[in-house]
Amino acid sequence: MADTDSSQRVQEILTQATEELKSIKVPNDDQLEYDLGNLLVSNNNTLDETLTRDPEKIDSYLHNLARDSIQALLNRVWELPSERIDSDIYATLPKPTTRLPREKPVPKPRPPTKWEKYAREKGINNRKKDKKVWDDVLKRWVPRFGYRKIAAEKEKNWVKEVPSNADPFEDQFAKAAEMKKENVAKNEFQRLRNIAKNKKIKVPSVGVTGNEYASKNELSMAMHHAKHATASRGKFQPELPNEKKVKGLGKKRKIEFTTGSGQVEKKRNIEVLEKMDKPSLNLDGAIHKEIRDENVAMDLKRKGGKVYGRRSKMGGRHRTKSDHKSLKLGTGFQGKGKGKGKGKGKPKGKPNVGAKKKIGGPKMQGKGRPAGKGKMKGKGKGK
Amino acid sequence: MGVIQRVVKPRNSRSKRALEKREPKNIENTKQCLFFVGKKASEEMRRCLRDLYSLRKHHSLHLSRKHPDMAPCVDILPVERLGQKHDASLFCYVARTKKHQNNMVIGRMFNHHLLDLIEVDVSDFRSLAKFNNPKGAEGTKPCLTFAGPGWEDDAALRTLKSLLLDLFRGVEATAVRLQGFELALQFVAVDSKTVMMRGYSIHLKKSGLRTPRIELDLIGPCMTLHLQRSRLASDDLMKRACRQPKQVKANRVKNISKDVFGSRLGRIHMTSQDLGGLQTRKLKGLKKVEDGDGADGGGGGGGGGGEEEQMELE
Repeated sequence: MADTDSSQRVQEILTQATEELKSIKVPNDDQLEYDLGNLLVSNNNTLDETLTRDPEKIDSYLHNLARDSIQALLNRVWELPSERIDSDIYATLPKPTTRLPREKPVPKPRPPTKWEKYAREKGINNRKKDKKVWDDVLKRWVPRFGYRKIAAEKEKNWVKEVPSNADPFEDQFAKAAEMKKENVAKNEFQRLRNIAKNKKIKVPSVGVTGNEYASKNELSMAMHHAKHATASRGKFQPELPNEKKVKGLGKKRKIEFTTGSGQVEKKRNIEVLEKMDKPSLNLDGAIHKEIRDENVAMDLKRKGGKVYGRRSKMGGRHRTKSDHKSLKLGTGFQGKGKGKGKGKGKPKGKPNVGAKKKIGGPKMQGKGRPAGKGKMKGKGKGK
Repeated sequence: MGVIQRVVKPRNSRSKRALEKREPKNIENTKQCLFFVGKKASEEMRRCLRDLYSLRKHHSLHLSRKHPDMAPCVDILPVERLGQKHDASLFCYVARTKKHQNNMVIGRMFNHHLLDLIEVDVSDFRSLAKFNNPKGAEGTKPCLTFAGPGWEDDAALRTLKSLLLDLFRGVEATAVRLQGFELALQFVAVDSKTVMMRGYSIHLKKSGLRTPRIELDLIGPCMTLHLQRSRLASDDLMKRACRQPKQVKANRVKNISKDVFGSRLGRIHMTSQDLGGLQTRKLKGLKKVEDGDGADGGGGGGGGGGEEEQMELE
């Protein structure tokens, strides 16, 4: 070390003599703080205020400052023990000295399970098992666990003996599968019990634990069932002020489409109608009703009263004899035709003979006038 | 606690590995950093964020969506949630507020809860793109230098130093390729409220000696940070966060030394033995004579009961 030191000094003098710029020496480099593990160098000396305040000179000042610091740092790095790997020289960095906070807390060691505690007590050591086991039946090495274990087992156990004390019609394979399922469930239960014990959560030894993390809906369903389990089916149970009803109870109603062909709807409506108790067709009654209304209206018009429509005063008895006669004969009657805007006494040629047909019939809908009515045009008393 | 201690076990090894990556470990992963923009940020600030992101390319996530409801100084919960989602414990957030056009918040978390954060106002920003010199490869470990007395004196600056160190130091490296130094970052505390950042590329020049001469070339990003609000960690939280596991601490091996021949030696410390009281075979010839002629005293062994004995270890 001493040799290289002196030779280095000689070199330094030489290089300094020849070219000043190539110096690697940094003045006051022991005043700097180094953290080689982080490649960090800190210069705690006060900065030159005149230069830092001057926006023109600050860049070069900072540049020089940086250059000196980095040179000092890398001088130290080059002094570190290094090794050569594939034509590259690597310097081994020491551990960082600056203490930085961790990302996550220190992990706690896993608490021992019930079995582990017992094994430790008894001094039972876990012996590492080989993956492959020699099987005499199959005459080859068979994996004890993992990939292709079950295939090998199936190969071996293609037939199962029914034990002498067992039911001959029992499915032994199903029984074996059931046993395996139970084993898996038992293991899972024990694992969860271990976890519960470690987290100091109480688990009952018999029975099922409640679901601690049930969703809001599940809890309200549970409440609902509890309430309805009374003699009065929950009718008189007091409710909390903000208690909301459970979603999803009650009959579900299927809502049909509003688009598409109306065939289904039509069919259903016709079915309903067919099921209904329809009154038998009273044509005469209908005709008379119509006549009455018309006459009333006509009367009132003549006499100057209000035309009411179906519901007329005096029971609608303002009907003249002639009107009756003319209707029976099939001629129209005086008065305005209630139709498609052709009314108002515009007399037209022959009276409409088909008046009868158009009254009543299956198309009678509610209170409205029957559809055919509108075609009656009146030519007064005309015959 | 371990992935197996979960009530719902992971279904396959892929999910198991993902969970194991996120759980606390003795030797931790390199911290992930989130770079994201809040409600409205100027073009300059967005470029600044991108530059910082490129300095820490390998362990950071640049979120492309704007997060208009985030205000880390006011409400840290959304940031914590983001950090938990991406498993990131550092974040750098840029926004435009009424008071400050160029607001930036740098913070870090411990166990997905806020540890500390510092809000700075960025001015005189010169982007990496502005400098035309060739830059080093992305992801190189930079050399960091902090200048100015403020880094030690001021509490906020001390936290900022620690934050900047965390942000820019990259991976914790055990070995470094000597030809591979490419980037140098300088942070100068001009006064207790102002920090100047400069980025340089390192050129190793011949010096006639083994150690090269360093030349620096300004490549950016350059900016001036004005410290605003800060939320520093309480002492005990910081202590808890800095706690290292026992396994990571160096084990000092005591009492083992090697002699010239390479055999391992240890030292046994004995209590002082009174060899005069040892029981041995009684030999008539060695019986003590009254006139004090006997050369050896009664009993066996010579030399004084040494306090120490060096024994050879197998």
